Amino acid sequence: MADKMQICNISENNFEQCTKCSICTTVCPVAAVTTDYPGPKQAGPDGERYRLKDPAYYDKMLKLCLNCKRCEVACPSGVHIADIIQSARMKAGEGKRASLRDTMLANTDLLGMVANKVAPLANATLGLAPTKLVMHSVMAIDKHRTFPAYSRTKFETWFKRHAQSRQDAYPKHVSYFHGCYVNYNFPKLGQDLVKLMNAMGYGVHLLDKEQCCGVALIANGLYKQAKRQGRVNAASIRQTVNTDHRTVLTTSSSCTFNLRDEYPAILGIDTRDVRDNIMLATRFIYRLIDEEKVKLVFKKDYQRRIAYHTACHMQRMGWQLYSIELLRMIPGLDLQELEQECCGISGTYGFKKENYERSQAIGSVLFKHIADAQVEAVATDCETCKWQIEMSTGLPVENPISILADALDVEATRQANGL
Amino acid sequence: MRMDTVIMGGGLSALTCGIALAKRGQRVAIVASGQSTLLFNGGSMELLGCVDGKAVTSPLEAIAALPAEHPYSKLGADRISELASEAHSLLTDAGIVMEGKADANHWRITPIGVAKPAWLTLSSHFSIDSLGELPCKRLALMCIRGFFDQPNGMLAEGLKGLGFEVDKLEFTTDEITALRRSPSEMRANSLAKRLVSNASLQRVADEINRLAADADMVLFPSVLADEDVIQTLKSMVKKPLRLVATLPPAVSGNRMQALLRHYFRMLGGNYLMGDTVVSGTLEGDRLTSVTTAKLGDMPLRADNFVLATGSFVSKGLVADYGRVYEPILDLDVDADADREQWTRFGVLEPQAYSRYGVKTDAGLHCLKQGKPIQNLRAIGSVLSGHDAIKMGDGTGVSLLTALAAAQSILATK
Ligand code: SF4
Ligand code: SF4
Repeated sequence: MADKMQICNISENNFEQCTKCSICTTVCPVAAVTTDYPGPKQAGPDGERYRLKDPAYYDKMLKLCLNCKRCEVACPSGVHIADIIQSARMKAGEGKRASLRDTMLANTDLLGMVANKVAPLANATLGLAPTKLVMHSVMAIDKHRTFPAYSRTKFETWFKRHAQSRQDAYPKHVSYFHGCYVNYNFPKLGQDLVKLMNAMGYGVHLLDKEQCCGVALIANGLYKQAKRQGRVNAASIRQTVNTDHRTVLTTSSSCTFNLRDEYPAILGIDTRDVRDNIMLATRFIYRLIDEEKVKLVFKKDYQRRIAYHTACHMQRMGWQLYSIELLRMIPGLDLQELEQECCGISGTYGFKKENYERSQAIGSVLFKHIADAQVEAVATDCETCKWQIEMSTGLPVENPISILADALDVEATRQANGL
Repeated sequence: MRMDTVIMGGGLSALTCGIALAKRGQRVAIVASGQSTLLFNGGSMELLGCVDGKAVTSPLEAIAALPAEHPYSKLGADRISELASEAHSLLTDAGIVMEGKADANHWRITPIGVAKPAWLTLSSHFSIDSLGELPCKRLALMCIRGFFDQPNGMLAEGLKGLGFEVDKLEFTTDEITALRRSPSEMRANSLAKRLVSNASLQRVADEINRLAADADMVLFPSVLADEDVIQTLKSMVKKPLRLVATLPPAVSGNRMQALLRHYFRMLGGNYLMGDTVVSGTLEGDRLTSVTTAKLGDMPLRADNFVLATGSFVSKGLVADYGRVYEPILDLDVDADADREQWTRFGVLEPQAYSRYGVKTDAGLHCLKQGKPIQNLRAIGSVLSGHDAIKMGDGTGVSLLTALAAAQSILATK
């Protein structure tokens, strides 16, 4: 009887567990800079009580939520505050008529595909003052933003031309969910992963079909499309895990979080059966080293001072430890972990004209910490944090995988792993 | 993943212990499930405030007379003075500037205007050395219009009861008024994020100088984010200015927590925010590893473990319909078996449950089925035998047991 009562008392998003302690309100980056947003407690568990009575209580300002999950990380009672807010937005039918701008920003792969074909032109055009002005006024994409440069060759194209044929020869294998950013903007990160895994004796393989994970679609309220793409990804992942018995590696914290946790929690795509087989490459590599299955040998002359920034979704997953501890293995690397603050970009949020100032205000705390740390570069596992921090601090921002690949003594590592 | 020490819980005791160990070169991970009750701290630490309902003047003397089951007695009354001064310097090193003495309590003022004995109080906060000798006569109590977290009426009455003359002076500025658009956000921590720039502080100072010209001292709610901001406002205000604690979550607690966390990270410590230890593996009389919700199938292994998971609020202890238990390892707890005994009518009455906690031996080792686990020590609010509310010993127990546990871990090497 007692057991049953406990279970009956727990709702889907356990909002009734809220003790009204208000701790979440102290960490919300949006409430910190604008009074338009009611804050996590009000938008989440408190508002939910009203919305359950009558959906008319839905507050349009919930669209300002970044879905950064910082409130959930802070809540001592385990309330899924941000999930409550996202579900409420979804129920209220937000995004049914998304604007051209939101659709364009959300479709990172579509935008990438077009821009990619005309990369030099796109980079020049997206960077031109007149284009920026048109985007600012017509499309409402903020003129201060520099679009991430598009690469001329997609990662997938490079991989098929230059790497794929060699992969089967390795004794062990992994699959790689590269994500839109690696494919269209920054193939080097994918190439670095291939270099690193190959040196440890692992062949790298693409998924049968990979589509954009949809993190931007969810943020822009395009839930239907996110679900469609999510199902394709889930099927491909399931196939490689169950048939090829391969772990699926990622190099973006947001893609990882989305595939593992947002698919079931928000999109209703149950990926729990393969959840443990989807992971950031840093976690996979750390485990191999920890279990003494592989060795990494680093260059003797590598000398750098770098600060590590924990992206919001990384903090939510709780995996920054792996990236940090791997970087600390590089002998010449002086690593300082930064206080965990939101950079303010939150995917496509900061690209929108109406959010630009808020986005920069949110990030200012982090930018100050970075300036104080006196480093030559910043490491982070999220690509949109990279754009924001590079634009706002002028420092280069690199993925831990790229730093590891850069510091790696490839020949010595191959030998150490018996290749 | 292998560490020298893994600390379960992320509040005052966990951070203190983590810092003490990391300073001596240990690899330490702190697993913190969400924010801790340190966020509720109004700017003071207490060693021992009250025994049998009577205020304590000299904590060091009173501690010597505590019963054997009190955590201080386990540490040994003769070590308290040394541990207390070590704690004070650790806080100072972290950038938390506090004043006070372990052999003579002073008085802090609670957000509802009650004077309570305290050991250390932030230098920027209002405190009174002796109730018989007030530091000044006329106080200007600055009241921010629409502010949620300061019950001005009760605070003023309390101060008057101590013998002060109090003027309640309501004011606002443009920034503050703008915040009132979202009434639920008119809280201490929201104000702290707005009152930062020199311009916004100057507008506040102008109001204070205009309204409080006759006061001996100005009391301002503790809504200033850090030491720099406090010093700036002080320099702009003509009268001496002190901060008074607000209702929680407190800006001072938030700041102390951030400073301790930063210090710990600077020393190379790993602070795993928002993760929870869900289980542990015992081999004989040792704990070999713990599993967390987020690290999943990669357990944290370590030579030593520390249980700093807090009391009921932080879920370090759980009560269900049948019993009180420790949820990670089901360690032995000191608690009444009969549910009727847990609570008593009247919130302000002494409550039995507030003394519940895990059982330990004299070396703070946790017990399971009566046997000590050799490399698992408990510290802070999860310990039994003390009562933060009725005895005013919560923060002191957290700080001192944390340092004692760190010393004994370092000694095992
Ligand atoms: S932190 Fe959690 S328990 Fe506290 S008010 Fe927010 S949702 Fe409620
Ligand atoms: S997810 Fe982020 S932006 Fe949204 S309520 Fe929580 S803390 Fe605020």
